[in-house]
Amino acid sequence: MSHEHQSSQGEHGSVKSYVIGFILSLIFTAVPYYLVDNKIFSGTKLLVTIICFAIIQMIIQVFFFLHLGRGPKPLYNIVFFIGTVGLIIVVVGGSIFIINNLHYYMAPNELTKRIAEDEAIHQVEGKTTGACDSIHNSHIIYLKNNKLSPTTVKAVRCDTLTIINQDKISHEITFGSHASHGSYSGIEEFSVPKDRSKTITLNQNGTYLYHDHDYPTISGEFTVVEK
Amino acid sequence: MVAENQHSHHEEEATDIAMFGFWVYLMTDLLMFSVLFAVYAVLQGKTMGGETGRELFSLPLALRETLILLTSSFTAGLGLIAARKGSKRQVLTWFGITFILGLSFLFFELNEFATLIKEGHTLQTNAFLSSFFILVGTHGLHITSGLIWMAATLGYILKRGINSHLVRKLALLSLFWHFLDIVWIFIFTVVYLRAFA
Repeated sequence: MSHEHQSSQGEHGSVKSYVIGFILSLIFTAVPYYLVDNKIFSGTKLLVTIICFAIIQMIIQVFFFLHLGRGPKPLYNIVFFIGTVGLIIVVVGGSIFIINNLHYYMAPNELTKRIAEDEAIHQVEGKTTGACDSIHNSHIIYLKNNKLSPTTVKAVRCDTLTIINQDKISHEITFGSHASHGSYSGIEEFSVPKDRSKTITLNQNGTYLYHDHDYPTISGEFTVVEK
Repeated sequence: MVAENQHSHHEEEATDIAMFGFWVYLMTDLLMFSVLFAVYAVLQGKTMGGETGRELFSLPLALRETLILLTSSFTAGLGLIAARKGSKRQVLTWFGITFILGLSFLFFELNEFATLIKEGHTLQTNAFLSSFFILVGTHGLHITSGLIWMAATLGYILKRGINSHLVRKLALLSLFWHFLDIVWIFIFTVVYLRAFA
C-alpha cells in the first residue's frame, strides 16, 4: 500500500510542485505587469512580450498545477490538449488575420468617400460628403493622333470632364506633369481604351495637369473653380 | 488483500476515466473562450469615439484579481493533496481559503462591472464594451458555478468526511479551478495589460 501511495503522489504532484508552480506564476505575472506599468518599451514589441509571458505561464501551470503528462498512459489528454491548442490557433489567428485584412482593404473613411463620390451622395444626415449633388456642365476633350483638343479647360466645381479616345490605341492618362506625378480627387491615373471615353466628376478645386506618360505630346490642364 | 487491491485498482480506473471525460469538457470550454478572445481581439478598438480600455480599466485592480485567483489555484492544489492524505481538517482549511479567495475575486469583478455600468459604460455602449463584458462575464460565471460546486462539496465533506468518491470530486473541482486561473492569465494579458501597453 505504501508503495502505491508514493506512486500516486508522483502522478498527481506534490506540495513541492505546487510551490514551484506558484512562485514561477508569480514571477511571470509580475514581470509583464512591471513592463507595462513602467512603459519599459512599447508597441508591438511589448504586446508580443506580454503574450509570450502569458503563454509561458500557461505552460507552467499546465505542468505544475494540472500535472498534464503525469497521468496514466497512453496520454490521451495531452493529445486532446494539443489538438485543442491547434484549433485555437486556427480560430483566433484566422479571425484576427481576416478581420485585419477586411479593415485594411475597406478602411471605413476611404470607403465612405469613394461610395459617396461614385453614387453622388452629396450629404448624409446634414453633413456634406464633398461629392457633387448634380452635374452642371460637361466638358469634352478629344484625343486624336496623340493630341488633345482642347488642351486647356476651365470649369466650375461639379462639372464633368470627358476624354474621348479616337486613336487606335488605348491611352493611360496620369495626373500631374511628366516629371512629377500627382493625383486628382484620390485618382492617380486612369485608362481610356480605344474608341471609348472616360468621364470624371470635377469635385476638387484648383489647377491640375494631366498627361500620357508614354506619349509626351499628350499633355493638358484643367482649372476648377467654385461656382 | 487481493480483493482490496482489485478494489483500489477499479477506483483508480474510474478516477482516470472521470478525469479524462472532464478534461474533454474543459477543452471544449477552452474553445468557447478562444472564440470570445478572438471576438474581443477584433472588436477591442471599436469604441465609436468613446473611452478606450486605458481610460476605463484599472491596472492595480486587475493585478489584485490576478494574484487572488493565482493564490486560490495554489491553495486548491494543496487542498487536493490533503484530500489524498485523507485529512478532513486540512481539506476544509485549504478549500475554505480557496472559496473565500474565489468569492473576493468575484466581489472585485462585480464591483468593477457595477462601477462601469454606473458611469454609463454598459454592454450596449459599443462593440468594445460588449465583447469585454461577454468575455470577462463568461469567466465570472464559471467562477460562480465553481464556487457553488465547491460550497456543495465542502458541505458534504463537513457532514460525511472524506471518502474516495469525494477525493475524485475534489480532483475534478481543482482541475476546473486551475483551468479558470489559466483562462484568467489570458484575460489579464489580452484585456488589461494590453489596454495599457
